[in-house]
Amino acid sequence: MTARRPGPLAAVGAALLGVIVIASAAAPLLSASNPVKPTFSQRLRPPLGLGGTASHPLGTDNLGRDIWARLLHGGRISLVLATSAVLLATGVGVLAGLLSGVMGGLVDDLLMRAADVQLTFPVIMLAIAIVSVVGTSPIALVGVLSLSGWVLHARTVRANVLTVWRLDYIEAAGALGASRHRLVLRHVLPNVLAPILVIASSQFATMVLLESGLSFLGMGIQPPAPSWGTMLSEGRDYLSNAWWLGTVPGLAISAVVLGANLLGDGLRDWLDPQSR
Amino acid sequence: MRANVTRLEAIGRRELLVGVGAALGATALRLGPAAAQAPAAPKGEIVAGVSERALTLDPANHYSISATSVLRHIFDPLVDVTNDSKFVPALAESWRPVSNTAWRFVLRKGVTFHDGTPFNADSVIFTIKRVRDNTKLIKAFAYQDVENVEKDGDYAVTVTTKRPFGSLPAHLTMLGMLPPAGAGREEEFFQKPVGTGPFRFVKWTHGESVTMAANPTYWKKGVPKVAAVSFRFITELSTRAAALRAGEIHVIDRVTPDMVQTLKASPGVRVLDTPAIEAQRWIFQLAKDPVKDPRVRKAISLAIDRNAIIKDLLLGYARPVDSPVPPGLIGHTSFGPKPYDPEKAKAILKQAGYQNLTLDFVLMKDIYPKQLEIAQAVAAMLGEVGIQVNIKNLEVASAREIRTAGTYDLFYSGWAHMPHDPDWYFGQWFTKMGAEKLTRFDDPKVEQLVADGRVPDPKVRQAKYEELERMIWEDETELWPYYSVAIYAISDRLQGFEARRDYYVLLSEVAIR
Amino acid sequence: MRAYFARRLGQSALTLLGTSVLVFLILRVLPGDPAKMLLPEGAPQSAIEELNRQLGLKEPLHVQYAIFLRSVFRGDFGQSFQYRAPALQVVVERLPATIDLTLVAMALTVAAGVAIGIVAAVRAGSRYDYAGTVLAVLGQSLPSFWLGIMLILLFGVTLHWLPTSGFQGWRYLVLPTVTLAAYPTALVARLTRSSLLEILRQDYVRTSRAKGLAERTVVLRHALRNATIPVLTVIGLQIGTLLGGAVITESVFAWPGIGKLVVDAIFFRDFPVVQTILILSASIFIGINLLVDLLYVVIDPRIRYG
Repeated sequence: MTARRPGPLAAVGAALLGVIVIASAAAPLLSASNPVKPTFSQRLRPPLGLGGTASHPLGTDNLGRDIWARLLHGGRISLVLATSAVLLATGVGVLAGLLSGVMGGLVDDLLMRAADVQLTFPVIMLAIAIVSVVGTSPIALVGVLSLSGWVLHARTVRANVLTVWRLDYIEAAGALGASRHRLVLRHVLPNVLAPILVIASSQFATMVLLESGLSFLGMGIQPPAPSWGTMLSEGRDYLSNAWWLGTVPGLAISAVVLGANLLGDGLRDWLDPQSR
Repeated sequence: MRANVTRLEAIGRRELLVGVGAALGATALRLGPAAAQAPAAPKGEIVAGVSERALTLDPANHYSISATSVLRHIFDPLVDVTNDSKFVPALAESWRPVSNTAWRFVLRKGVTFHDGTPFNADSVIFTIKRVRDNTKLIKAFAYQDVENVEKDGDYAVTVTTKRPFGSLPAHLTMLGMLPPAGAGREEEFFQKPVGTGPFRFVKWTHGESVTMAANPTYWKKGVPKVAAVSFRFITELSTRAAALRAGEIHVIDRVTPDMVQTLKASPGVRVLDTPAIEAQRWIFQLAKDPVKDPRVRKAISLAIDRNAIIKDLLLGYARPVDSPVPPGLIGHTSFGPKPYDPEKAKAILKQAGYQNLTLDFVLMKDIYPKQLEIAQAVAAMLGEVGIQVNIKNLEVASAREIRTAGTYDLFYSGWAHMPHDPDWYFGQWFTKMGAEKLTRFDDPKVEQLVADGRVPDPKVRQAKYEELERMIWEDETELWPYYSVAIYAISDRLQGFEARRDYYVLLSEVAIR
Repeated sequence: MRAYFARRLGQSALTLLGTSVLVFLILRVLPGDPAKMLLPEGAPQSAIEELNRQLGLKEPLHVQYAIFLRSVFRGDFGQSFQYRAPALQVVVERLPATIDLTLVAMALTVAAGVAIGIVAAVRAGSRYDYAGTVLAVLGQSLPSFWLGIMLILLFGVTLHWLPTSGFQGWRYLVLPTVTLAAYPTALVARLTRSSLLEILRQDYVRTSRAKGLAERTVVLRHALRNATIPVLTVIGLQIGTLLGGAVITESVFAWPGIGKLVVDAIFFRDFPVVQTILILSASIFIGINLLVDLLYVVIDPRIRYG
């Protein structure tokens, strides 16, 4: 069996993400077209190479807006929102999982039952409720998105802690007076890093899709501003006659997911003491 | 539980086959001495894929286009309406206004319900009194003006009303007649409804499909032409279109202009369109600054290029408006098209002293095709004259709450004249009480005309409505961007399908090869 | 462990009760009211008020909840506002379709996900691994509606191999299952691969191999056991969310399940149906988590609860 070299692939992942982030940040420099102004005469033009022109390399959408421009500008919003949501979900989830597993008892029960209760409610219902109470600010959106993601992290970490907690040598060390908690953390965190990275890098796409699904609550991006999520939902009605509308942002999301996957796997290999 | 699904389906199929078999058998029995004139036995099954779920099988308990389509096959109303808005006899052979507040209906003889009981005046009395008295029913409010329903022998009925109710026959086109036997056990009855219609109920899976089999003893000869009809509720347009293209269903409704090309290019598929009796109308919050100022409304109207919307966004599948009421209905008249003049709009705003206006444009999610696209186009157009528009595309309940609360400037809406009569539209939106929690409309002169237009005499109604419409047209009380066009796609195996202007999918006179 | 189990059972009952209260309250706190959703646009305010009263929505909250609780114990979950039929009947009618879809999608997820994960880990660095990565990326990032519609267009319209929508037989399950399972399969594959890679590098595996055991035995016996836990976590979570969350797949395929039913009911403010579905899925969910927690112990005896 050939051992995988983490190096080059992780670098590829990092480079991919880097390119996407920089391109989105530099959106106005990379595209002169206006991403929000409609031009009726230019509706649904195909991308370059499929009958389109260089002035609209990725084609135009249902209002004649340049897709390349919308992709770049939209990337800013989607990247920030989705990444924040993933980070928040991961952070909260890991913390909750640790608390649950290490402290056990009432804390464990409360957290896990809270998770159960929250998961019973469809995200859309929670979102409507949250909007009615706190409004539609981006922070509220990030909050709602994270709500949908923290439980998986929490459960994974908790399961791992439970496995490690009762290991014989941990118990022995505890009997000898060493802090069991610190030992557990030293053992748990490296072990749990791998699945957490996997899950977090998978969640980016889910967050973007959720954002698109919530935009009609006034959360997320209101038209005509672009985001990958809204571009996806706008493209939904045109899949049979102008498929590039929905496919282009989908590919962008795939690229980010690929980069995150590669980077995540690479990070895991690098940080995992066992694989050295 | 898995087995249950297939078993249920099997039962459904079995019931369907029994229904069909009975229909064919009964029809075969009819062939005899009259064989030479007997119409061909109904055969084949038509499956329609419609976008809206039918939520109930009680004709009095919904105002949905989809349920109206489905129920028109099981029930007959007293009066039918043709595609060009002519009222024709159904279960009533004739009707006339006896006075301003009374209508007399002469009923058709020899009609039986699917369970064999006869249709007569008792059914009419039961049906109308029920919808008036049971305030839990969705249609109840439309019949509160009914004072009494009295029979005049078994086949004539007089309906007296508290105030003039000229549109009563129009409303009755949407009210299927019920057998009095349904009284007292309504919940059970409407799970397996019995009517006089061209099809008998077979099966209903909530939110998924309704299946019906031909009624062999239907009072109209030659109808129905097929042995069974099913309505499947498929909300996703792409899926509906795919099912049609794959030959799994035979009719779909609510096709969008962008889908037309793909469908036309599909083998075995035909696309039909017709101007609908629906006017898009975007309503203003008439008690709120700045849109309560008619000059602002005028400027907004001038700034919108309706032709661009019709031509570029709707690909020609819309008609320019020339009055608040669409053509074909009583009350339609022609004031000429609304002009597009952004320069004049800018001038009006400047003169009236408005600068940097910001408006909230609220939409209800997924109600009208391409609404978000059109709203964005309009936002851009208004931006050209210096009005900033914030689009709020919200889920329906929240949007309606905002409308009730009055925290909107412009609200994306439309009005399909389901009863083929504008009286309901005027009564709701152009009277103070009706519009109170909606547009906050308040104009006593217009309101008087609405009341005057309620009399049965069509000439009087036309005159009053024209006067009323002139006032609101000039005042720009609402924005009327275009009249909708209804687009259907059908399998080319269908014969005799009529693309209806009221969005109903009616299949009793349609055959399938 | 029995004490733990009993305690968990008691908690579950309490959680269920608490959930029912929360469901009840949140629904009534949402903006908009059911009567307005049921009546047409052109209905007068008086009709709206009257219908709300008829639906029992004008009573004080605790009275409404008490009435609700009493009828639930009689098996009556109220009348759906939309359908005017018993809410329980409306939900139960559509439950089998969702359960079928969920079970088959989960089976596919486990089978395909684990298989891909194993191959990718055992042949790490090879083109099988790279192929697995590509599949995983696609599975995680393709929107369900995109995948669903594309599958319908390809297999339903162009090739005529499979039906396009609805549920009238087993062939109808194929496309929706693939669409629904895409994301969890990708996640399971990646988790399996990741866990396996970790284990395969550990000392005791090397020791086992030194003992001469066949490599395959080494993999299957030691490694999979450890990899099961995160995978089990994912699956447990997925089942719960699928019951109420497969709305997009159900919309695209006109699947007569409760995913679309619950979302439509939320938009429509059809309280009885939402209540019924959420309480039902809470029960199932809590039950499954109970099971998963139990399985943790079975699989890894080192996990003991005290």
